[in-house]
Amino acid sequence: MTTLDLSASPAPPHALLRRIVLKAEPYLYCFPALFLIAAIMLVPLIVGLSYAFRDLVLLDPASGDYIGLTHFGEIWADANFWNALQNTAIWTIVCVALQFGLGLTLALLLNQPFRGRGLIQALVFLPWAVPSFLSGLNWAWMFNPVIGPLPYVFQALGLMQTPDNILSSPDHAIWGPIIAMVWWGIPFFAITLLAALQSIPKDIYEAAAIDGAGAVERFRSITLPFLAPTMAITVLLRTVWIANSADLIVVMTHGGPADSTQILASYIFTQAFQRLDFGYASALAAVMLVLLLAYAMALVAVRQTLLARH
Amino acid sequence: MASIDIAAVRKSYGATPVLRGIDLTIANGEFVVLVGPSGCGKSTLLRLIAGLELIDKGEIRIGGRRVNDLPPKDRDLAMVFQSYALYPHMSVRDNMSYALRLRKTPKEKIAAALKGASAKLGLDALIERKPRALSGGQRQRVAMGRAIVRDPQAFLFDEPLSNLDARLREQMRFEIKKLHRDLGATSVYVTHDQIEAMTMADRIVAMNEGVIQQVGSPSDLYDNPANLFVAGFIGSPAMNFLQARTVAGPGGMSVTVGQAEIAKVPPATPTGPVVLGLRPERITLTAPGQGAQAAVDLVEPTGLGMIVHLDLDGQQLKTFTTERLPLKAGERVGLMVPPGSFCLFAPGTGERLAG
Repeated sequence: MTTLDLSASPAPPHALLRRIVLKAEPYLYCFPALFLIAAIMLVPLIVGLSYAFRDLVLLDPASGDYIGLTHFGEIWADANFWNALQNTAIWTIVCVALQFGLGLTLALLLNQPFRGRGLIQALVFLPWAVPSFLSGLNWAWMFNPVIGPLPYVFQALGLMQTPDNILSSPDHAIWGPIIAMVWWGIPFFAITLLAALQSIPKDIYEAAAIDGAGAVERFRSITLPFLAPTMAITVLLRTVWIANSADLIVVMTHGGPADSTQILASYIFTQAFQRLDFGYASALAAVMLVLLLAYAMALVAVRQTLLARH
Repeated sequence: MASIDIAAVRKSYGATPVLRGIDLTIANGEFVVLVGPSGCGKSTLLRLIAGLELIDKGEIRIGGRRVNDLPPKDRDLAMVFQSYALYPHMSVRDNMSYALRLRKTPKEKIAAALKGASAKLGLDALIERKPRALSGGQRQRVAMGRAIVRDPQAFLFDEPLSNLDARLREQMRFEIKKLHRDLGATSVYVTHDQIEAMTMADRIVAMNEGVIQQVGSPSDLYDNPANLFVAGFIGSPAMNFLQARTVAGPGGMSVTVGQAEIAKVPPATPTGPVVLGLRPERITLTAPGQGAQAAVDLVEPTGLGMIVHLDLDGQQLKTFTTERLPLKAGERVGLMVPPGSFCLFAPGTGERLAG
């Protein structure tokens, strides 16, 4: 269309301009979308990261200077950071493992035909629909021996000497938010894995049964390979989300007692909104971003090698 | 290889009976085709033999061993599914060797079995591929290969050719039959396609509404259908059914449609209304004035011959002839039915009448 006109065009002075316009054309079409993405995602990210290199304390009007890598040096020397990092690892691994294990079990159970399955499937989804703030409060109350039943249950099971609040024990407080998080996150795994289970054709199981596979062997050689892609992507997503999620910890323990439940995300929250040190919080956030990126890339690399082997 | 004995087998889903008492003996090495319209219970019967579902009443024996309560894996049968049901994450080799590996067969034996089967089915070049990289016909072959490497007691086929196009279906029909000739394995084959049943079966089991209607060789069912259902189901173009009467005349008993006498019947035949079944290709068309008089309604050329639709005293019927007759719609013709090439059925029950 235009190219035809152009080649036939006899006006040499405009030829260069036309060529430039023509080259720019596809970029002009892309520009609105690219502009929006940059404005909404990239600019805030860059501005946020830039805080990490500045001394930015909200209550100190003299602050705001560029201070280079000073914050990162402080982080390296900050025992609270290392403690939070360790807690983040425990928190994330235990939460993902329990959510995944229980979610898969629930999905396998819900995949069996039984009466009232539709209703149960809908009910299982409920915890996911509860705002995490609310579920944090609920669980905090349930762990409270004054109004909640759980300490007495733990005592009766022999897990506790006296019905104490687990959230006030420096050694075990982290299990409070973990239990709440596991309860809250199981539906995610159950629902996504159930959807994947239901997409497995029934006759493949029948063919395997006729080929001589028992229930365990059918699970190993059919269910697992079919679920593997869903498992990989849900574990990746949940790991990032859980590592990032501070709300249950902030609501239930505020990172305490004595920072024993402080994870990186809640530590950042504390630095930014309680000490109002946005510079240091941004530097912590940058470290966390790098760690999560490294994790995601490692997982992708593992996936690639696994795929290449097949 | 083994025989399969099915005795008084019943099966219901909830309150809906699907099989209402099936008795059938399949001899060692026999190729039996279960045929019938959808919902007749043929697939259910196959799944009961395979053990994918449990029977409510009755007994199934494979090679003399009662298998009622055995799970599928202990029945030593191989099954080819309509969807092929190949394991998508396994190569052709792994698909075919899966059952052998589960049975802890020695590696050399597996390799030999794979080699034999893949050569027989022409799968040598595809052995490392995944099912998604195969065409429909190739997948079908892999499904067959998965069955034959096992050397099972019997093969079960559940409409294995329905997902193929017409030409491939014809070719696979031929190949399955040849495989059966080479292996001599007991085979139970389910289809709704009467042509598959006619071309492949040693014996056909025609089923309808959970009941076996007739068991016999293809020619038995074609020439001597036991009832209206079998007569109408087997054969294409289908048998004509005409409202007729048997009457006693001066020349003996005969069967008439309207005023026209169609054929003589044995003197013992009772008089009264009957359904007259006529195979389209057994009707001879003659010049007007000879035989029963009919009008040409429509002519359908098929290449092989032509199907002529006729109007006989207000009733529609089809004839098939390989002659190329210059017939036009509205033209009058005569038709004759040679003795012994028609069937009479009782109008109420649809059962075959002698004669």
